[in-house]
Amino acid sequence: MRRLLVIFTLIAGAALAQKPLVIAYQGGAVTLDPHMRNETTTLSWQQHIFETPFFYSPDGKVIPVLAKSIEQIDDNTWKLYLKSGVKFHDGSPMTAEDVAFSIMRAATHEKSQMKGYVGKIIEAKALDPTTVLIKTKVPDPLLPAHLDHAAVIPKAYLERVGEAGFQKRPIGTGPYKFVSWLNGDHLNLEAFEDYWGPKPTFKKVKLVNIPNGATRVAALLSGEADVVEKVLPQDFARVERSGTATVKQTPGIRIIYIALDYWREYGSEGLPDGAKNPFLDPRARKAIAMAIDEVAIVKKIMGGAATVAEQFLAPVHEGYDPGIRRFAYDPKAARKILEDLGYGDTNGDGWLELPTKDGGRVTFKLRIDAPNDRYLNDAKIAQALASMLRKIGIKAEVNAVPKKVFFPNMTKGHFTMYMAGWGSMDSINTALSLFHSKDASGLYGRFNRMRYKNPEVDRLIEEAAKTFDKTRRDALLKKAMRIAMVEDVAYIPLHYENVIAGMRKGLNYQPRPDEYLRAFDIRPE
Amino acid sequence: MRYFVVRFLQMLFAVWGVATLVFLALQLSGDPMELLAPEDMTEAQVEALRRAYGLDQPLAVQYAIYMKNLARGDLGISWTSGEPALALLASRFPATLALVTVALAIAIVLGLPAGILAAVRADSWIDRGLRFFSVLGISAPTFWLGIMFILIFSVTLGWLPSAGAGSWKNYILPGFTLSFYRIALFLRMIRSTMLDVLSQDYIRTARAKGLAERIVVYKHALRNALIPFVTLVGLQFGHLMAGAVVTEWIFAWPGMNRLALNALFTEDRPVILAFVILTAVIFAVVNFIVDVFYGLIDPRVRYA
Repeated sequence: MRRLLVIFTLIAGAALAQKPLVIAYQGGAVTLDPHMRNETTTLSWQQHIFETPFFYSPDGKVIPVLAKSIEQIDDNTWKLYLKSGVKFHDGSPMTAEDVAFSIMRAATHEKSQMKGYVGKIIEAKALDPTTVLIKTKVPDPLLPAHLDHAAVIPKAYLERVGEAGFQKRPIGTGPYKFVSWLNGDHLNLEAFEDYWGPKPTFKKVKLVNIPNGATRVAALLSGEADVVEKVLPQDFARVERSGTATVKQTPGIRIIYIALDYWREYGSEGLPDGAKNPFLDPRARKAIAMAIDEVAIVKKIMGGAATVAEQFLAPVHEGYDPGIRRFAYDPKAARKILEDLGYGDTNGDGWLELPTKDGGRVTFKLRIDAPNDRYLNDAKIAQALASMLRKIGIKAEVNAVPKKVFFPNMTKGHFTMYMAGWGSMDSINTALSLFHSKDASGLYGRFNRMRYKNPEVDRLIEEAAKTFDKTRRDALLKKAMRIAMVEDVAYIPLHYENVIAGMRKGLNYQPRPDEYLRAFDIRPE
Repeated sequence: MRYFVVRFLQMLFAVWGVATLVFLALQLSGDPMELLAPEDMTEAQVEALRRAYGLDQPLAVQYAIYMKNLARGDLGISWTSGEPALALLASRFPATLALVTVALAIAIVLGLPAGILAAVRADSWIDRGLRFFSVLGISAPTFWLGIMFILIFSVTLGWLPSAGAGSWKNYILPGFTLSFYRIALFLRMIRSTMLDVLSQDYIRTARAKGLAERIVVYKHALRNALIPFVTLVGLQFGHLMAGAVVTEWIFAWPGMNRLALNALFTEDRPVILAFVILTAVIFAVVNFIVDVFYGLIDPRVRYA
């Protein structure tokens, strides 16, 4: 019996080795040059081929990959020690020369999109075959984490074949080597025998782009694909019922949030003409937060494919303070707050009112702006928000438009209340981009579209951004977040989108919060 | 010879016009950096990226550079992939061409005989049945049809693959999805032109002189009905090459329509422009081929 089982397993194993593991994504990599395009699917595909000195673990810890360790010499200088015995797919050994070259390429190539992470680096040079000296222009306490965007490529090979040649046959140190691909459509990979780390289970892997959600699920149920990302909530039951496949979810790092006009007293474009903008007062912003029944949104609109957000940062983030909770849902109290602020109903039509510049009063109408093709069920969420605000007496209506229209308008500041999303593993980056006030040099507040501004928060964030001690940095961020989220109500958090994957029975895989989906994270059960 | 030169110049003018129009229209879609630059770059870094793509230049300069390169046959480098836009399109062109050919072949093989049958048996139950089908075919949305095909033939029956290209089996579902509308269209058009031709005097003459009905229908009537049909097939070919967007999307077909759609989503303007220019060229070439076909079918065109 046991022998039979062994033979059976061998046959099954041989069959597995023949047929590639097929993973279906909502998109596809558009380049195999690892320093050019900073976008999740492109990076997911590339991560099979390329590795970086450090990378995030699924629980948000920065772990060494090609690095053995890193040592800080002074505020602007680091020594990066590399693992030895790492080989590129062409058999050549990885040297400090290659790593220094790759870091500098990611940091300085004119079309590199990795500069948000490694752009502070001004020098990287090999000291000996396994040591790289890195210098930054300004102190970067998160340098090790930021090296997760500096994929290592072989210097000599790139110089020999050129950038166009490299795209045709990319070489890295990763667990899989390139076989063939069609840009944006599919990528065939094969396990790399000389890989330095644990050998991947699946010898052959095919990554495919199936843009349509229903087709992706069909491919899973018909057995064409083994793992598919982004199963839509309406398909969960169908997948589970099939008996051949299952769905797994993980709370993601992408938060869906609301921002309110923080800078115009009059002329805010989502309010009636001439009406005073009530949202300059944190109490009015709090009232909006209390009017939102997020539990209902997650349950009824997201079909359970989201997790209620207590604050802006997610639990895997640095600076997450478990003590910060969202304002409890209480529509009556919310209306009371607005009435107490002088926006009560005086003409008896049931709607709250806003004072105008010329001393009159107008009905409290409010336009909610949202994209309709960017986040899961975005337009439906906006509709739900409108009906919740109507319950407290705000005559809210939704303007949901394609992202190509929405985002430019958001940048230009045409909104009073908008709903959007944000996803980054790097809390300092999040704080600098959304919570720090906008500065002239273009360094801070790039996504602080509603111009939230609190000098104390600015100071705390700037301090955190140059603090090397992890505990102290964490404390500074927590303090900044407490002021911004609790006292100032700078943003209203809604939910984190869950990261969802469907897989055939017999596979063991838990989706990562950062949405990267890689074959080497998938195991047979 | 002069005819060819004129046709060629016309084509060049059309391509230039289309390229200019689309170039200008794309400017209306706002700042491409909104979608092109990742969220985690600082504003200063975004500006540097803008310079790298030459987008800091005045519009007139950008246009002049684009046209200069276009004249040399250089359609630019894709902003997202760093590969030449033309090479990207070329890598996707065969898949679209193959799918469109299959779809048109299905539509002709089924639509043409059905149209003849409906005309010959006008107002019989066969005709009524076919007409009912043609209403269905004309009005069924591609999106719905594609999903239904997938649910029935891939998920429930497990006969055919739902996504991608590779084996001949992959052609069946998208091929039928694309041809469904065309079968109905061809059926209708052949039926009505055939009915028209069959009521002409020379058909009565042909019948009167005792020709077999088969010869009357196929040699006299069909031949004349084919001229507008060939035009229609040619036009549909052009439409499909640049319009199989939904089908390629649903069936994850590695064709150039999906590439163009993605380029539109990511503001990859060089690829969008290259796609539009290629489409203009395809239409021009197809029109030309249709003209040549006229000559083969209708001797009068040849001698004129």
